[in-house]
Amino acid sequence: MAPSGVIRPSMGAVIGSCRSAQLAGGAPLRLATRATTAARPSHLTSQRAAALSTTASLLKRHKYEGARKTRDNNKHRGESAVRRTGARWRTSVDSEPLPKPVPRDELPAVETDPNHGLWDFFFDRETVAQPPTRDAAHGRAWMVEELRHKSWDDLHRLWWVCVKERNRIATANWERNKSELGFGDVESAERDRQVRITMRGIKHTLTERFNAWEDARKLAETDPEIDLSGGENGTIYTPAEYLEEETFDETETLAAEESEEKAATEAQPAAPKATATLDPAELPTSSKPEGAAPRL
Amino acid sequence: MATPVAEAAARALPNFRTGAKQIFRPNHVITFIRPKPKQPPNLATFVVPLTFNKLDLRDYLFHAYNVEVLAVRSFINERAPIRDGDRGKWYRPRAQKMMIVELAKAFVWPEVPDEAAREGFDYDTWRRTARARDAHQQDMWNRQIGSIPLRTEVGVPSQRKVLRKQAAAILNSEEGWSNRSGVQEDDSAWKEVEKDMEVPEGRQ
Repeated sequence: MAPSGVIRPSMGAVIGSCRSAQLAGGAPLRLATRATTAARPSHLTSQRAAALSTTASLLKRHKYEGARKTRDNNKHRGESAVRRTGARWRTSVDSEPLPKPVPRDELPAVETDPNHGLWDFFFDRETVAQPPTRDAAHGRAWMVEELRHKSWDDLHRLWWVCVKERNRIATANWERNKSELGFGDVESAERDRQVRITMRGIKHTLTERFNAWEDARKLAETDPEIDLSGGENGTIYTPAEYLEEETFDETETLAAEESEEKAATEAQPAAPKATATLDPAELPTSSKPEGAAPRL
Repeated sequence: MATPVAEAAARALPNFRTGAKQIFRPNHVITFIRPKPKQPPNLATFVVPLTFNKLDLRDYLFHAYNVEVLAVRSFINERAPIRDGDRGKWYRPRAQKMMIVELAKAFVWPEVPDEAAREGFDYDTWRRTARARDAHQQDMWNRQIGSIPLRTEVGVPSQRKVLRKQAAAILNSEEGWSNRSGVQEDDSAWKEVEKDMEVPEGRQ
């Protein structure tokens, strides 16, 4: 017994030819088609049906669901550069000639703005880095004692001067090494060190100011004469009345001071106790300049 | 035509929204780097701290240098492992972050100065010492890996050539050469420098 798969293609061809005959001859009866198939040999019917070529799809090998399509997916089938076949499709053509790229050295030179902000990264607009003799011609760093007299705005400005100077030094270092300009590493490092000392001084000064301010604030919290929340009328400092009465009598206060001094000189250990109850008005002003101190 | 005031107002505002957080004492070092030969002039390269991001650099350049930036690209360069000294441990140095910004206004770097313009940096001495140092390092490395070049590969050293030339000049001279040639018999070449000096007692 032959397997069914062998018979199937030929049977399909027979049935397909019957269908094509139906389409060609209008709408014949089912019986008539059966009669024709029975009367004629199968190879003749298939020859007649070949004119319509509908058998190909029916004779497909893969007819199941999701079977691959047999159309040609290659758009460039038959194109060959060797045989000069050209493209299969008509391509769009423009009569305008294509523009030619301008060579790099024929392009117009780009002019840099003389006020461009990036010039600030350079010491010198010709060599970028400056020679070591000029690099070494700098003064010393700012000392903390000098910075203590400066306001916050001045310190802030000086900090930014230092930041930009360090950027300039770093850029010059990079350029000196990469472009092989020559010596200058040592001088540059020393210059950078002086800038960093200045920056350290600024931080030191600001830290001192902050500590002084914090101390004063803590002291003010315990002081009955000072109300940091603003009080009723927005006045922070309300002097007690008995202080005013005491200051009127000069002779008494003088005598009291003298006696205090005597007591202090006679008994040194008593001094720390006196400082523990210091009046905020008598705080040392050296660490907190009046003009630069932050205010509420 | 806009008034100067209006122009200034327009210039003061960038085409992007700057960050709102105020930083009073930034402690970063930004290095501006020479562009590669074919890099267009609207790109500027910077070496930035590893903690920087694109928005940081954009705002930094705008506020500190008044440079407007259209776009920022960022990348990190991994460093090659190096040794601590000659025989120390191998370690990898800290990576390096670079950013390339697109500038609103192009900036062209000055050309690399030619050798005559590098006189202030003492370029000639620097080049000689650098070459000698490189040659020495290469020599030491060759010794270390055991590939000592043959005499035929190295060629005749320059000192040897000079010596040979001097010897030929002496031998070909009219007087010829003897053991006493070049020595002055009247002792005039000898000079007593400290002849008249009085040396204090106890020092002799």
